[in-house]
Formats: sequence, C-alpha cells, structure tokens
Amino acid sequence: MFTFSLSGLEIKSSDNGPLEVEENETTSRSAVYMVLGKFFAPVSAEQYDAALNDHLSKEIKDGASLLPFEFDTGNPKLSEGKSYEDYAGEYARLFGDEKGSRLLASHDVTDKENILAQVKRDYEYFGLGANADLRPLDHLATQCDFLQYLCFKEAATPSPRLKKSFQRAQRDFLQHYLIDWVPVLASEVAVKTPIEPFNWAILTLKNFVALDYDYISKALGG
Amino acid sequence: MSTTSVLTDSSDGYRQRWSWDKVTWGTHCLNCLATCNYRVYSKDGKVLFEEQGGSIETIESKVPDLNPLGCQKGSAWSQQLYSEDRILYPLRRVGERGESKFEKISWDEALTEIAHSIVDTLDEFGPESIVFEESVEGGLLSQSAFLRFASQIGAITLDAQGLVNDLPIGHHITFGKFSCASTVDDTFKSDLLLLWHSNPAYTSIPYHHFITEARYRGAQVVTVAPDYSASAVNSDLYVPVTPGTDAALALSICQVMISENIFNRDFISEQTDLSLLIRLDNNRFLRERDIKKGGGEETFYFLDQNDVLTEVSKKTLELNGVVPKLEGTADVTLADGIVITVTPVFAVLKNFLEEYEPEKASQICGVSPKVIRHLATLIASKKTKILEGFNAAKYYHGDLMERAMCLCLALSGNWGIPGTGIQGLALAGLDGYMLFSMKRKAGVEETARLLDGIDMAVDQMRQKDPEATDEMLGNQMLSLSVASGTSAPPFFFNYHHVGYRDIWNKSEWSDSSMSKTFTNYFDDAMRRGWWGGVAKPSASNPPKMMFLVGTNPIRRARGGRERMVNSLWTKLDKVVTVDFRMSSTALMSDIILPAAMQYERVNVQYPITHTLRLSFSDKAVEPRGEAKTEWEIFSLLCEKLTEVAAERNLVEYLDGKRQVRKLDKLLENFTMDGAFEKEDAIIDEWVRDSADAGTLPMGSSIDTLKEAGSIRFAGLGIFAPGLSVAADVDKDKVMTAFGWHVKNKLPFPTLTKRAQFYIDHPWFIEANEMLPIHKDNPHLGGEYPFVLTSGHSRWTVHAVSMGNKSVLSTHRGQPLVVMSSVDAANKNLEDGQFARVFNDYGSFKSMIKIATRVRPGQLIIYNGFEPHMFSEWKGSNEVEPGMVKWLHMVGKYGHLRYLPFGWQPVPADRAISVDIELADKDELREET
Repeated sequence: MFTFSLSGLEIKSSDNGPLEVEENETTSRSAVYMVLGKFFAPVSAEQYDAALNDHLSKEIKDGASLLPFEFDTGNPKLSEGKSYEDYAGEYARLFGDEKGSRLLASHDVTDKENILAQVKRDYEYFGLGANADLRPLDHLATQCDFLQYLCFKEAATPSPRLKKSFQRAQRDFLQHYLIDWVPVLASEVAVKTPIEPFNWAILTLKNFVALDYDYISKALGG
Repeated sequence: MSTTSVLTDSSDGYRQRWSWDKVTWGTHCLNCLATCNYRVYSKDGKVLFEEQGGSIETIESKVPDLNPLGCQKGSAWSQQLYSEDRILYPLRRVGERGESKFEKISWDEALTEIAHSIVDTLDEFGPESIVFEESVEGGLLSQSAFLRFASQIGAITLDAQGLVNDLPIGHHITFGKFSCASTVDDTFKSDLLLLWHSNPAYTSIPYHHFITEARYRGAQVVTVAPDYSASAVNSDLYVPVTPGTDAALALSICQVMISENIFNRDFISEQTDLSLLIRLDNNRFLRERDIKKGGGEETFYFLDQNDVLTEVSKKTLELNGVVPKLEGTADVTLADGIVITVTPVFAVLKNFLEEYEPEKASQICGVSPKVIRHLATLIASKKTKILEGFNAAKYYHGDLMERAMCLCLALSGNWGIPGTGIQGLALAGLDGYMLFSMKRKAGVEETARLLDGIDMAVDQMRQKDPEATDEMLGNQMLSLSVASGTSAPPFFFNYHHVGYRDIWNKSEWSDSSMSKTFTNYFDDAMRRGWWGGVAKPSASNPPKMMFLVGTNPIRRARGGRERMVNSLWTKLDKVVTVDFRMSSTALMSDIILPAAMQYERVNVQYPITHTLRLSFSDKAVEPRGEAKTEWEIFSLLCEKLTEVAAERNLVEYLDGKRQVRKLDKLLENFTMDGAFEKEDAIIDEWVRDSADAGTLPMGSSIDTLKEAGSIRFAGLGIFAPGLSVAADVDKDKVMTAFGWHVKNKLPFPTLTKRAQFYIDHPWFIEANEMLPIHKDNPHLGGEYPFVLTSGHSRWTVHAVSMGNKSVLSTHRGQPLVVMSSVDAANKNLEDGQFARVFNDYGSFKSMIKIATRVRPGQLIIYNGFEPHMFSEWKGSNEVEPGMVKWLHMVGKYGHLRYLPFGWQPVPADRAISVDIELADKDELREET
C-alpha cells in the first residue's frame, strides 16, 4: 500500500478520503515527487543520512518501480567522505542558503506576493492548507509535495470526474511552474559543478518533470 | 529661474500628470451587454484614467475581432469614483421619507439597526416579508452576496427579468427560451441586417463596428423604426413603421413570401410546427390522446404526402426523407369514434395571412406595399439576421411582434447558420457561479461531488424521459431548483402589495379580447396551480423590509411614485439601499450603505453570449470613504444578525416552506467556514470550477483573469441558461446560436419540440393569438393623441452615468422629451421650453427637444434620467401604468412555465398614450 507524506502542506478537511491506496503507476509517480520533495526541502540531517546510507537510492528506485514511462533513477550516492557540514554547505552554495532561497518560484520575480497568492490558491482549491511557517509556499519542495498529493488523490479517488480533475491539475501546475523553471534552475546549478547527490537530484528532477508532463498531457488527450 | 528650467518643469508636470504606478484590468457594467475590458491606470492610490483594452484575441480568421470594446461611458467611468453623488458613509434618514435628510452613522450603528429590523420582521411576519430585488448590474460578486444572504434567512428575491423586463417573451413562446443570441461577430457574416426594435448606434456602441464591417463586405442594412434613428442614418434602407404595428409589417412580409412561393419549405417542415395538424373542430393540435385511449398529451402528428398520419418525433427534427404536407385537409377518426377534420398549421397560417396582404397591412403599419414586397424578397434570398434589442419586449403586444418577426426568419430559413437568427439576450452560464450556491465547502472535491450528483439526477430524469435533450433536462433541473429557492417572479408581489391589481383590472387599458376581469384570469391561473411554488409572497404576507442592492425601483418601476412611494413604501418598515451613488431610490431609503465601485474591488461581470467572455475587474484602489463591497457588507450583517438574534432570543423560526431556520451560524455558512472571506478566493473558485466543468478553458483561474482581463468560454456549460443557445463553442470559430437545432437536428424545448408558432392553449384561443397576429396597442393610460416611446440613450444606459459630469456635458444635462417639429408647430411648442406630458395615470415635466427625425404623433423620452432630475421628482414612469398582458399568466403548458429570467408576466412601458402641453412656467420657476 502507498500513502502520501506531506511536509510543506497540510490537509484542511477532516473528511478527505482514504489515506492509503494500492500501489500502481500513479502512486509511483507520487512516490517520485515525494522523494524529490524531501531532497529539495531545506537542508537537514535526515537528508544527509538518506544520501549517506544510500536510502535515497533505494527510495527513488522503489518509488519509480511502477512508473508508466521509462525513467532512469540513476545513482544518488553522496560523494566520498563528505560530512554533514559539507553536505549542508553544498546545498547552500547551490540553492542560495540552507533554506533553499533559490528554490522559490518567486526567486527572480518582482511580484513575489502574486506568485505566493497564486500557489496558495492552487493548494486551497485542492483541499490543502499551506504550512508557511515551515517553508515558503512556492518552494520547490512544497511544489513537489503538491504534485505528490495530486497524484495520490488521482490514484485514490473512485470518481472518474475527479480523477480527470486531478490529472488536469497536475498538468496545469507543471505547465505553470515547473516545466519552464526547472530546466533554468538545472542549467544554473550545472555550471556550479555540483557534487553528488546534488548533480543527480537536479538532473533527475528535470528529466522526471519533462517525462511526467508529457505523460499526463497524453493521458488527457493533449 | 531660467527659461530652460521653466520648460523642464512644465514638461515634467505634464509627464507626471500622465504617469502611473499601477495598471489593472477593469470592466464596468452589463448594461449594453458588452462587459468591455479596460486598462485602468492609477497613481498614489487614485485612479487617473482608463482606456480600452484592445487585447482580445482574433477568434476566426477573416472575421473582425471584438477590439476595442468600449464607449464614452466606460471611458469616463473613473470620474464617477470621485463624483459628488458618491455615497461614502452609512447614512440614516432623519426627516420624513423623501425629505432627503440623512445623518452619517457608523457601520456598527447601521448594521445593528438593520439587524434589529430583520429580527422584528422575522419574529412578527416571517422571512417572506423581507424582499430583495435581484439585479445583475453590480456584477456577480455583488449579486452573489445579497442572494446568498437572502437565501440564508429565507427572504424573497424578485426575479430581475420581471423587474426590468428585458424579456423577449415572443422568443420564449416560439423557441421555448429567450436566449437566441450568437456572438456579435456573427453579425459580420450576415448578408442582410434588420435593425428592428433596436438602435445600436446608441445602445451597442462597442459592437456597432460589426454592422459597418458587414456593409463593407456587401451586407445590406435595413432599419425598421418609427423614428429616423441614429442607426437609420447609417442604413441602406429605412422603413418607417407606425409605433406598435410591427407585427402587421412582419406578417405581411410572411404573406408575400408564401404567396410568391419564395419561402423555405424544407426548413419550416423540419424546424417548426407548421406541418403539425390542427383539429378544425376545436382549433387544438391533434394529439395522441385524441385518437388512442390512454394516448399522450404531448404527441403530435403531421400528414405525409400519402396522407398517412405520422407521429412527430420528439427525439430529433430529422425527417429522414419524409416530406410533411403543408396544405390540405384530412378526416381523422377519434378514439370515441367521432370523425373530425384536420389541417396543417401552415394551411391555417396561409389562410390567415391573407388579412396581411401588403395593401391591407400597409393601412395598419404605414409601410408602403412596395417596400413590404421588397423586404420579403430580400429576407427570403439572403442570410438575414434581426438585431433586436429589448424594445419589442416592452410593448403590451410585443410578444406578437416578436413571434411574427421570428416567423419571417422561419419562412426564409434564417436561423442556426452563420449570419442568421435573431439577436436578443443570451446568458452564458458560468457553471462555477451556479455551483457556488450549492457548495457546502470549498474545493474541487466538493465540485466533483455536486457534478456527479447532477449527472445522476440528469440520468434519472433521462430514464423517465429518454427523448429529452440536455437542454430540456437542464430546464427540468432548473424548475426543481426554483421550487426550493428564494426567487419569485415579481408579478405576484406587484399584484398583492404594490397596488397594481386595480390598475391591471382597468379593462380600457388592456387587451380588448379579455372576456373577464384581470382578477378573474388571475384567480383562474392560481386555482389551476399554474404558478405553484413561485406565487409568492401571498396576499397575507405583506412586505415589511426591502433591500435594494444597486437597484433603483423609484426610477425604473413602471407606475412611478404612485405605485412605489404611495403604495409599496407605506407598507415598508425599513428600506435599505446599498449603492455607490445617490440614486432616487437611495434618497427615499431609511438606511443607505455605501458600496465600493468597480476599480475599488474585484468583480466579474455577468457573462453573456455576445462576447462569450468572462470579464474581470481588478481592485486598483481602496474604496472611497467608508465604502465596502457587498460581500463585506453582507458578511458583517451575518455576524451582526447572529449577535442581535441571540440577544433577543430569536433562536429559530419557520420559513415560507415551514422549514426551521436558525441564525446562529450565519457567517460560517455565508463564508463556508471562512474559506470565502476574501473575494479573490470566491472568483478563483468560480473560475476553477467552471474550467473543471468545461465552461472555461482548462487551467483557468483568477490569475488568468488578472493577466488577460477576460477569458473566452470553452463551452456552454451544464446548466440551462447556457445550454439554451444551443451551439458549439469552438475556440477559432464565431458562435451561431441554434446550430444544434439546424445542424444536429436537436428538438426545441417547446411543447411540440419544434419552433412553435401555433399555441393551442385555451386562453390563446380565446384571445385569438394561436398564431402571431397584429393587435392594436391598448390605450395605456387613456385615449390621447401621442404615443410615448423610449429606449436607451447614447449617453447612459439606465441611470448609472447620470452623475458623471463628462457624460452629462455631452447632452443638455437634463431630461428631454423629443418631439417632431410638425407636432411642436401644431402645439405652439418650442425647443427648450418645458412641457407637461400627461395622461389619466399621471404626468411629468420635461424640457422639449424638437427633432425632425421624430414622426408626428410620437414622443420619445430616453431611459435613464433619475426622477430627481425632473421637477417634483416625477420621472417619465409617472405616466406608465405598467400594464401586464393577461395571457402571460398561462402556466404548465409545455414550455409556458416559469423559469428564472424566463416566462413570466412583465409590465409594458412602450407606446403609452399621452398628451403634451406647455408647463406652467411660474410653477416650474417656483420649484427651481
């Protein structure tokens, strides 16, 4: 069985449907967003441990096992001999600071308030409240959280209408934010010659977002 | 200071005047059905100016686009924000009603007083003694707020269509719906444009270019009007028709088409009821129950070419090669063995139309027989569109005029294909808005739950009625929701409580075919249950409190002060007006609450199919003074009412349906537990839900609107108002109404499932209105030599722009009665003098404007002047008795049944009988 795990978002309603669902290709997509979301969240010892002990590698492989498209999960192994301080320093070097200020959708946008309002409305329409105390609403990790949740809901709902709604939401959200922004981010990070698993993470995210967008667009007949 | 520096300062000053720090999208009103997009420029929290957006995408290649939507009223809107008639603070009346003495009070005082009045009324009389007027002018957020509040407390809301009477009831009789309008760019595809009962050069400024562009590509433009209007000036042919005789003209055109055999036989056989059989013994349709025991009431027949009785399909208009007979008779044996004779409607029509041979009709309508024949030939040979406004609808016999005009189109095969049809009003159904009132919580899952529920209900209805189209099932759904809602046609309110009963019973001002009193017919309709569920409030339920949110009955209501002030107002303990400007109604209110204007709040306009777009107005600046949006106002009132009810121990009460209601969680219910405290969130929900339902493009949200200003619809939606246009919505195609009927052969939502020109209801038979016929306009207001007509002016639609100094400066700035130079000479009246216009009902005084374009015998007073702009504060509605046509009380006959915004009795205000004389100068001077 698969269950979702949100860290930047919280469910608003008490009667929000099942909390776990049989694993399938849709939960597999959800799982990949979950792993990537956790990786890009503000740096923590937990992330370091996952990279150090190869849990990250296992998580992404397990998660992606039922994906409906070919996807190379790669090898997200921490570079040899790196301490937590090295790991956290690399995160901050690549992503602005240890909270990942470069990972905000509003990073280089003048009207930041507008972006924040937009993503908040996206989350709320789909029954989620934002835990802004934890990290900004437009943080890449939060956006991955949202996609994780939408995929889970798609898998969990018995309503064909709602399934379509969740699919459209995934496509629209990817199109609105990640599909353009992630490749730009990846290019910026690439020139900084990141160590592993950061190099892996950014390339994996870029590839996965493109493949998933393509997949969901086709599923919707577009 | 050097010369250089002076110049620099000067030029900087100029630049600063035209520099801004914020640009937002704005739209203003629904009045002319355009909902134009404007760019609004503001600086330091003040709106500087606006300009037309001009950013709407091209829809169809080689068809002109909608740009630049706008007119002089919209372009001067920002001046109204800062005009002197703005209401900036809550006000309480301190003098007698009408004295216009108010004191400034706090919001808390105002809301507390209103809440106590509501509790008093609920406690003593019940919620149906609290009445709201529905209105669409303030935009959807304004409407949504007060309708939601009214619904929470169980108050009555009066159907806006019944109040303003923009209801083309002849369309409804013919097509089973009033929504016939294509997108306005379809005008470009016409070969012949008939400007009939409309004056688009005045009233459709944003769309007028399509008429010119159609002419560039070779279309002919014909204006049919009593006066040589501004639109007639730009036409190829002007047809001067005697006021109120348009049915005779249209029927004569039909007569020529039939007699000269230039009508479209295939089209009428397929699309209309003209092939259906009529029993000559009782003038009713031949029904299945006539010839079979237990047969259906709504199954009809035609004869094929071999005289075989053939059942009319309810599922399709397709005839599958069968050619119905249009003439001749046949004998039919009824179930009880009696033999009767039947004949097609067409045969009856053909015979009947002999009364309208051009030479005869010309005696009625004043149009030369030669012109009538020419028009018939033109219409029969060209792709013809009638651009009709809401003028015919306001004649007592406007239904007959419209039915006859539709018959011209039927005989010439002119609907459902590009460039054809009749252009009236059509609402684009914004599904998200419709769903909002049904939602119990925010979000997509609730939307899906509701949509799944609607699907299930529709499936159940389809099982019972497998031949029904989506449109018909949508109407059934709407009927069910009406029964459980607060909306009611204002007819019953007016009859019981506003004093119209006595007026409507004046037989000398009514249709001469009435054999009984109006009240006799009313009682008959009630006894038969034709208006069950919506005939409210009852006579025993007097109105005690009225909320007027952006509406202005003192100006608008046919009947004027006599009905409103001297009758209705005397019954009301509290009148609350919510408005942004000091209207005549506000001046007569007990409490006035200041509303935010467009540009000071977010809003979307009621979408209509003319543009098929949802237009957005963003918040550019803070509301002036202490003005608030209607959503804020009614949220606060919810909170206050809960508090006051608790204080006064009003725990629960029964509503009009004997259901228990409580006031303890009003605000929570109003905002869906806080999800909709902010108005951005509401619009976002409507847009997302609409996108999810397929009405707007997928992925749309309020952010799409904030960026683009408007969104074109992607579909007609799932609800009846949208579906009634019956056309595909393609993103790269102009939309032509009724395509589903012509292309897909989907039946019409009428009794016969065809465009229905024959109504066999017993009352219609009694009135001899089975077929469209010309009837002389009753002498509304008495027998006088002039007819008073109206219409929207160029300077304002309704009264909204009447406080705008820029707009006022483009005309004389005061009410004008326009009369012909011939009549003025005969009456020794001069331009600029003040005249008294009067009849047996009332009178008003106005400055005279003499114009050669007005026909002798006609007086025109354009709509929109506030009563307080006239002497004695008596507006032109003082001479309008507000007569209602008795036949419109028919119900439960096929499609003749109440639907919101649809079929209902509405008051007439055109062609009022009046006389005119010079006003007493001394009297006027004294008043001044």
